[in-house]
Amino acid sequence: MLDTVQQPTTSSHESVVPSWTGVVRHLHLTPRAFLPMRSMPEIVLIAGKGIEGDRYMIGREQGFYSHKPEEGRQVTLFEDETLVALKRDHNIDLGPEEHRRNVTVAGVPLTHLVGRRFWLGETLLEATRLSIPCRHIEEITGKAIFDPLINRSGLNCRILQGGIVRVGDAVRNDA
Amino acid sequence: MSAAPITTVKTVVETIEDSGAGVKLFSLVDPDHWELPPFRPGAHIDLHLPGGLVRTYSLCNDPADDCRYLVAVKREGCGRGGSVKLHDEIRVGDSIGVSLPRGGLDLPDDIERFIFVAGGIGVTPFLSAAAFLKRTGRADFALHVLSRGEPPLRRLLAPLAASGHLVLHDTAARARPELAKIIGRQQCHIGLGCCGPESMIDDFEHAAGDWPAGRIHIERFVPPPLPVDPNAKPYTLVLARSRLETRVAPGQTMLSAIQSLNVDIPASCCGGICGSCKVNWLEGAPVHRDRVLSPAERARSLMVCVAGSADDRLVLDL
Repeated sequence: MLDTVQQPTTSSHESVVPSWTGVVRHLHLTPRAFLPMRSMPEIVLIAGKGIEGDRYMIGREQGFYSHKPEEGRQVTLFEDETLVALKRDHNIDLGPEEHRRNVTVAGVPLTHLVGRRFWLGETLLEATRLSIPCRHIEEITGKAIFDPLINRSGLNCRILQGGIVRVGDAVRNDA
Repeated sequence: MSAAPITTVKTVVETIEDSGAGVKLFSLVDPDHWELPPFRPGAHIDLHLPGGLVRTYSLCNDPADDCRYLVAVKREGCGRGGSVKLHDEIRVGDSIGVSLPRGGLDLPDDIERFIFVAGGIGVTPFLSAAAFLKRTGRADFALHVLSRGEPPLRRLLAPLAASGHLVLHDTAARARPELAKIIGRQQCHIGLGCCGPESMIDDFEHAAGDWPAGRIHIERFVPPPLPVDPNAKPYTLVLARSRLETRVAPGQTMLSAIQSLNVDIPASCCGGICGSCKVNWLEGAPVHRDRVLSPAERARSLMVCVAGSADDRLVLDL
């Protein structure tokens, strides 16, 4: 028998405290546009710059979109749950190395984080904007994933505090 | 900051090997020996050469050899200039931009045996396919190489000769073999492949006339001439993402119309066989004249070098 469950009575926005804890599932980088993303056990984030060895690190700029400089694109994240949804809803197998974001996380509501700060392992990030899907990924993967990735194509972030991020690290809100 | 968009894979020439019969073998690698974009057996890439030349070559190596692209180039003194530039000007250490790999052989598991027929330098895609098949334990194939005298790429052919997969036909010493005898009668567990000069392709297509198209792979050195359509009509070409449009005159290619709008688009063979200029279309009724797109692919894409329009308006995702 089900117990009676009481709905929360508050409707104040200020009282809503985001409550989540996620985990880093995969880490990837690549030094140049078009090249395959390589799985890494750990990556080094440099505050205000980017990921050591990655194509979008400021000062390196060898990515497909490097001709469009963006200070808030130092590290990119992607939800592991989206990979599950692509398979479930569209029967598309997309690996964590194929979405071309750097960090695949689980249990993190990326779309809620724009404008917020959060901890990725020992590093502190500020989410600048949602990533948008691009035809470039379809060109590289040969998979029709543009439409299914609209509104869930990841998150662009600025690095406020650098450090080493490892697979298995916790991801948590900056309370 | 990079001033211009990056549109090609950056490679450097690691080695250049003289491979006999006027052929040089170029090994292209990432500057840091990073893995290169993956490819199917016998896929091809465009090489963006100095002077704006873009030339398409098949990959010779096993797709598992993922840190280099191996292309064999025969020097054609009377060709369009790409092979001469590669032979005479390109040196070890030079940078060459290349396209993502395209195409390649379909080697489905339900095909138990493959018969490949190559004319001279046309052996290149089958070297890649042979390496793939041997590595994956599917050793039932035969590679017939027809050449006048010494075949190209002896070093790469040697392991196939040792394993009994290679059959050489020296057409300088004896008459060209009958392709129908090489192919044999149609059997559902056999797949065929052919790459070589146009006359050999014609003979091969005739010999394999009763084989299902899905079990034949053909690659051409040069595109066949495009027939002139006496009933061609002008049409409006709309580039949706660029927000541009132009009128395409009868006889004018869609490619030249796009280029006249200063929209950069990769193109190589200009005859509908290399796949370099594939673009998705959004509205209209394209007339497809290429040799590479499947019916399913044509529902979404076209080759601007040869495609036309049956309607007065065609919209591209470009």
